[in-house]
Amino acid sequence: MSEMKDMIVDVVEKIFNDKVEKETVDLLEENTWPQHIWDIMFENELQQVAVREEHGGAGGDYEDLFHLYRLMGKYAAPIPYVEHTFANVVLENANIHPMKELTTVHLHANPLAIVNAKVSGALHYVPWARYAKKLVTLATDQGKEFIVLLDLKDAQMKHETNVAAEPRDHVSFTDAAVVTCQPISQEQLVFLQNLQTIATICKMTGAIDRAFELSVQFSKEREQFGRPIHRFQLVQQHLATLAGEQALTAAAMENVIARLQQGEVHDEVAFARLKIEDSSRIVATSAHQVHAALGVTHEHRLHHYTRRLWAWRDEDYTGRFWKKELANRWLQSSANIWEQLTTKKHMEHI
Amino acid sequence: MKLPTVQFTKEQEMFREEVRAFLQEELSKGTFQTKCDSWLSGCDANFSKLVAEKGWIGMTWPKKYGGGERSSIDRYILTEEFLAFGAPVAAHWFADRQTGPLLLRFGTEEQRNFFLPKIVKGECFFAIGLSEPNSGSDLASVKTKAEKVEGGWVVNGAKTWSSNAQHAHYMVTLVRTEPVSEKKHSGLSQLIIDLNSEGVTISPIRYLTGEHHFNDVFFDNVFVPDEMVVGTLGNGWAQGLAELAYERSGPERILSTFPLLNEAIEELKRQHNLEGLAEASKLVAELWSLRNLSIGVAKVLEEGGEVMVPAALVKSIGTKFEQKVPEVVRLLLDVYPQLQAEQKMNRFLAESILHAPGFTIRGGTSEVLYGIIAKGVIAG
Repeated sequence: MSEMKDMIVDVVEKIFNDKVEKETVDLLEENTWPQHIWDIMFENELQQVAVREEHGGAGGDYEDLFHLYRLMGKYAAPIPYVEHTFANVVLENANIHPMKELTTVHLHANPLAIVNAKVSGALHYVPWARYAKKLVTLATDQGKEFIVLLDLKDAQMKHETNVAAEPRDHVSFTDAAVVTCQPISQEQLVFLQNLQTIATICKMTGAIDRAFELSVQFSKEREQFGRPIHRFQLVQQHLATLAGEQALTAAAMENVIARLQQGEVHDEVAFARLKIEDSSRIVATSAHQVHAALGVTHEHRLHHYTRRLWAWRDEDYTGRFWKKELANRWLQSSANIWEQLTTKKHMEHI
Repeated sequence: MKLPTVQFTKEQEMFREEVRAFLQEELSKGTFQTKCDSWLSGCDANFSKLVAEKGWIGMTWPKKYGGGERSSIDRYILTEEFLAFGAPVAAHWFADRQTGPLLLRFGTEEQRNFFLPKIVKGECFFAIGLSEPNSGSDLASVKTKAEKVEGGWVVNGAKTWSSNAQHAHYMVTLVRTEPVSEKKHSGLSQLIIDLNSEGVTISPIRYLTGEHHFNDVFFDNVFVPDEMVVGTLGNGWAQGLAELAYERSGPERILSTFPLLNEAIEELKRQHNLEGLAEASKLVAELWSLRNLSIGVAKVLEEGGEVMVPAALVKSIGTKFEQKVPEVVRLLLDVYPQLQAEQKMNRFLAESILHAPGFTIRGGTSEVLYGIIAKGVIAG
């Protein structure tokens, strides 16, 4: 574990507390974003966390990066931090030099084809593509998979958004030049699949942290029938439910990261992803119920977190993907489920 | 609230293998039959004796009392293996989980020397006397009374829902040693009552299946010597609360229906039922998440930390999960719940369904737990 973690988490929380107002997050819905926050992050070298030293990294490891991803969820940070830094994680894993200019990533599907060193095909819902300069994605050349770096000025783009108003654009290429590409093995791809899923888990954990926090705060401030609503037992039941899901997801995130750091991560990624799917539903329901009518207005910021949870759970490697994956793994294994849960497995794929 | 993540050491992994091999062997010898909810309904003194011979009762206690001075994580591993195999551990359960730690924390040296070595040998079982006919969730309203006499106390009253008291030798009993005052939590004390004493009557309360593990225990002028008072007179409430953290956060709040889940997944594998396995994977994900939380609490407990709220979380969510397992399984497979069924799955399903209502009641109802959690959260 890197000792930097607490320090950079503090720095970023401070930046976000100062700069990420509700109005700043709302800018996304007006089709713009706070570039100045991105620049402050840059000045603090936060885009360089976990980048390898020889590539100008600022120190830190995946664990540090993942804890920053949690803050992106907790503050609904309207910047493509996760996408850009994760694009660089993918590049470095493919032995390609990471990018300084804004780069995004799309990994969970592979519809692009390389023919005569040119790329063609369409990608759907690419995060932040309209603002990014480069794209890291997969492409196939004669049955072999490659990580490719593409220039987005070669792309045709149609602006779309997810249900949280975050940019998710359709991007298509016709005989576009490949900036760089490297072959990728199935083992490496599985590793990246795990990493990207953990990234999503962290963002969602952060959004759950905040939805819980807002609900507790609201239940203390809001008075009805002459007393704060947290005094009502049926409201307390929601608070207890929220506290439980927050504790479960936080523990899931920490456990999956601990396993990753020890090179032993396997089914845990799928378990954590499936659990956070479930928790998002429970948390969004109870948080809105506690906030009642005020929470469903655009004015209140609860929707920044619940809408993100509803959007993110259906992005990248989803719960659907992981439950099928687990089913296939178990079918091929003679070990029963208790052995699966309790026997340490060294990661077979890296 | 931040709980630690626990990574098992190589030695702990090996210990798990050792426990598993023991259980596998006893299972195949027919020493026991796997059962759901075995920690309450699987009472077998002979099996407890075997466990004692392995040194696995009181395994965390000091060696001078016969314990093994092992870590609480070792004990956690042992307990979850027992439950995953549905082994009959009910006889020694309360003494190992609660009474031992209680005496180590609050008991006198004489009490420790007298009771702990016997518990460790599997020769001394305890029951717990908390609830009363008119005191359930409102536990501080207990009325069982102890009056001071020469050399001890005379107890009158009744305890109820006392699991396996019919097999136990002693009961740790919460009684009122002072009249009710303004503060109803004060004036309560814990007494160890010999269940063979004159004036003790134990009568069964049959569970809805007809099984006998709960009891009413009546006290009619029962004499309890002074040396059987645990800890400080009048401090029974606080001492009892400390026990509850052990009671609420363990693997028995997650794994009561695990044998059914395990069997169901094996059956889905035999059927090559990918869709069914995918559905079942959601339950395993929940189990994994709860287990992380429960192990985290075990670690904090070992370090002497405060776990009232996270322990209540584990119990309230874990028991709901236990109840959900049979409801999901019965929609995935052709099953028919029957207690006498030859097919394991049908038997496990019946045991799970019939025991399920108790999960969210025993050891603190979910409603009481939600109150504790919400107050903790509001207090920040």
